[in-house]
Amino acid sequence: MSHDYKAVQWTPFKKRFDLWMVGGIALYLIVFITISTVAQPSGESFAPIQTLLRATGTLALLLLTFILCIGPMARLTDRFNPFLYNRRHLGVATFLIALTHAGLVILWYHGFSETNPLVSVFISNPRYDSLAGFPFESLGFAALLIMFLMAATSHDFWNANLGPGVWKALHMGVYLAYALLIAHVALGAIQFEKHPIYLALLSAGSLTVIGLHIYTGAIGLLPKRNAAMDGWLIVAPVAEMADTRAKIVRPYTGEAIAVFRNGNEISAVSNVCRHQGGPLGEGKIHDGCITCPWHGFQYRMADGRSPEPFTEKIATYATKVLAGVVYVNPAANPPGTPQAPSLIGDIP
Amino acid sequence: MKRKHRKAHFLLWLILGPAIAAILLLAVTERPASPVNDNLPNTLIEGVR
Repeated sequence: MSHDYKAVQWTPFKKRFDLWMVGGIALYLIVFITISTVAQPSGESFAPIQTLLRATGTLALLLLTFILCIGPMARLTDRFNPFLYNRRHLGVATFLIALTHAGLVILWYHGFSETNPLVSVFISNPRYDSLAGFPFESLGFAALLIMFLMAATSHDFWNANLGPGVWKALHMGVYLAYALLIAHVALGAIQFEKHPIYLALLSAGSLTVIGLHIYTGAIGLLPKRNAAMDGWLIVAPVAEMADTRAKIVRPYTGEAIAVFRNGNEISAVSNVCRHQGGPLGEGKIHDGCITCPWHGFQYRMADGRSPEPFTEKIATYATKVLAGVVYVNPAANPPGTPQAPSLIGDIP
Repeated sequence: MKRKHRKAHFLLWLILGPAIAAILLLAVTERPASPVNDNLPNTLIEGVR
């Protein structure tokens, strides 16, 4: 977190998270394969590789659906912050599972012809003008290419070299990958898996993702109608300000403001992290510093500067407490400007 | 996220959301009555039969 490239560090928490993640993935695959094998009706003969490609395919879809729920859910509840903090690891794991699925499909369905297996994916079924007969594998392949791009550029090296704006815009391609994946499943497996449970699960998952993103997106864009006297905005009554946490205020113009309480002090900074634009107001105060929930970048409350030796700085804002209510002045100070905190007085 | 990214994100979902819903709807209404569908590999069709 400086002008020079420095990767987000591994922490014991990230390592524990990865262990749980790998364990969960292994458990899903074992359970799926066991149930598929045991519950297979007599007369049907699925090869083990087919069971495995179904297991990896369903797991990749489930994981991507969950990953896309993490961002909006973290805006609604703090419980999703640990997942937000480790979302990139989940994303790379999802790509590897999807890659395994694609490899198995190409090996099993296209690996035995004289045509190049990769070419075969696109030409073995030429019905691109048909909906019911659409070559759905090509959609999955396109989704996989986008996920590869995401995974390959997920390291902080690329964020530092592309810049947070470009990097973020690039990684919004995961939404297109998700749409392609839903089309891949809807025009593929759903066409022959007639049991309504499959369609119900696919619809429930995708509609949840869509609903969460549109709902939280609308909330994030709506300014709070809380203009107060002399241009100061009402933040919240002191009693509603949780210690080491923030309330986010969205003025009619300019960026959102994160107003933090630390004991009996109130301070306000820009809600936008300098690293990747993460929502600082959804983070909390660790070791006296505001800590971004996305990747742990930190800023001092007093002046919006990262602690030494780092050099990032964000805008600060004036605050005041009147009659038990916290106010913030929406006029931003230049980034890194010291701003004395407001004092609550008696901590309620 | 910066406001412009929030807007882009929101607009993207306003487009993708209905598109995904439409794909799901069309995929269900257009699917064949029998599991025989020549866009599927033969081994999978055999498995459903």
